[in-house]
Amino acid sequence: MGPLIPNGVIPPEWNFVIAILIGIVFGFSLEASGFSSSRKIAGVFYGYDFAVLKVFFTAALVAMIGVYYMDYLELVNVEELFVLPTYTWSAIVGGIFMGFGFVVAGFCPGTTLCAAAIGKIDAMATMVGIFIGIFMFSELYDFIEPLFDSSYLGRITITDSLNISPYWFIFLFAILAVITFYVVDVIRKRVKKVFY
Amino acid sequence: MSKTYKVKKVIVKTEYKVLAALLIILAGGLVLLPKYEKNSGIKPEIFLKNVISTERYVTTDLIADKIIKQDPNLLLIDVRKKEDYDSFSLPNAVNIPLAEVLSSDSEAYLNQDAFDVVLFSNDQCYADQAWKLCNRLGYKHLYVLKGGLNEWFSTIINPKEPKVTDSELAFKQYNFRKAAAMYFGVGNATTTTKVKPKKVIKLTKKKKKVAEGGC
Repeated sequence: MGPLIPNGVIPPEWNFVIAILIGIVFGFSLEASGFSSSRKIAGVFYGYDFAVLKVFFTAALVAMIGVYYMDYLELVNVEELFVLPTYTWSAIVGGIFMGFGFVVAGFCPGTTLCAAAIGKIDAMATMVGIFIGIFMFSELYDFIEPLFDSSYLGRITITDSLNISPYWFIFLFAILAVITFYVVDVIRKRVKKVFY
Repeated sequence: MSKTYKVKKVIVKTEYKVLAALLIILAGGLVLLPKYEKNSGIKPEIFLKNVISTERYVTTDLIADKIIKQDPNLLLIDVRKKEDYDSFSLPNAVNIPLAEVLSSDSEAYLNQDAFDVVLFSNDQCYADQAWKLCNRLGYKHLYVLKGGLNEWFSTIINPKEPKVTDSELAFKQYNFRKAAAMYFGVGNATTTTKVKPKKVIKLTKKKKKVAEGGC
């Protein structure tokens, strides 16, 4: 049956409407759970708050388990799901820049918009920074392009490249997630509490 | 301390442990589920519906018209053996023998969105089989030439003259087929009825007579 739009269950014209609706719900959940505070994301780096890490780890895990159960019941075909192509080096370099931006600003792109929407001035400044970054990237594209297009690996997944069963991978990932949650809790208890 | 309070306290204390255990159990469930071979391609019911439908057939007239008009969307694929293809085929047809339909080389021709692919063989039998193999895999824009090359010869190359009592449409179709045959370079263009040579009537211009006499 699924994915719904590529298989014509939902007409493709609805793509953007659904995207906007999901975006609104996502933004609301971010704000409701306090992610629009820059201290929350910075907390992951300083070790006093791991809510962000826990939430995204759990989201990935729930989505994985859900998608593969639905695949098993033939409600969704995993093969037809979109996989972003991998460019190893540009991902590593981009990731370093992004991580640097995360800890300096205390926002990820999604939470920036969220926080700007509720009137946080630091978030608005971050937004300006994002646009300056986009502008610089576009201007320097000719210079960056060799790195940007290099080490293309195609649309691969971890299970493809490690050649293991996705079910086993999910199981190991779940155990890893639980261990991580436990470890970060221990770290959080040892680090000086920050109240905000 | 009331009993419900105690229960609540236990729940709050163990909440995260329960959730963590739930995730691991669900993930473990995926590993333990009995595996089965999945059908690749479209579902059997849809496949059956497609097979029963005659929508895939296109007539020789339509294909002849498309070839003559040089329709850029048309891609003809000959599913007969290579020897047969070499001896004769339709213009600009690509040869993919039935046995090689599922090979990786032919996928680029069959599984695409750019062309309307028309499969043909001597009769429509092999072309139909190739169509079924491809349709099962969910390939789109595939058609089968109705009647195959035999039909092509009996309609386009060597069309039957309609009876006098037939409809005007039949005559129009016949004329189209004759013209198409000429286009493909085989039609007997001389079937036109003998036209009697026109009698040439010589016109003799009357000489203008100079007005005589005077009035």
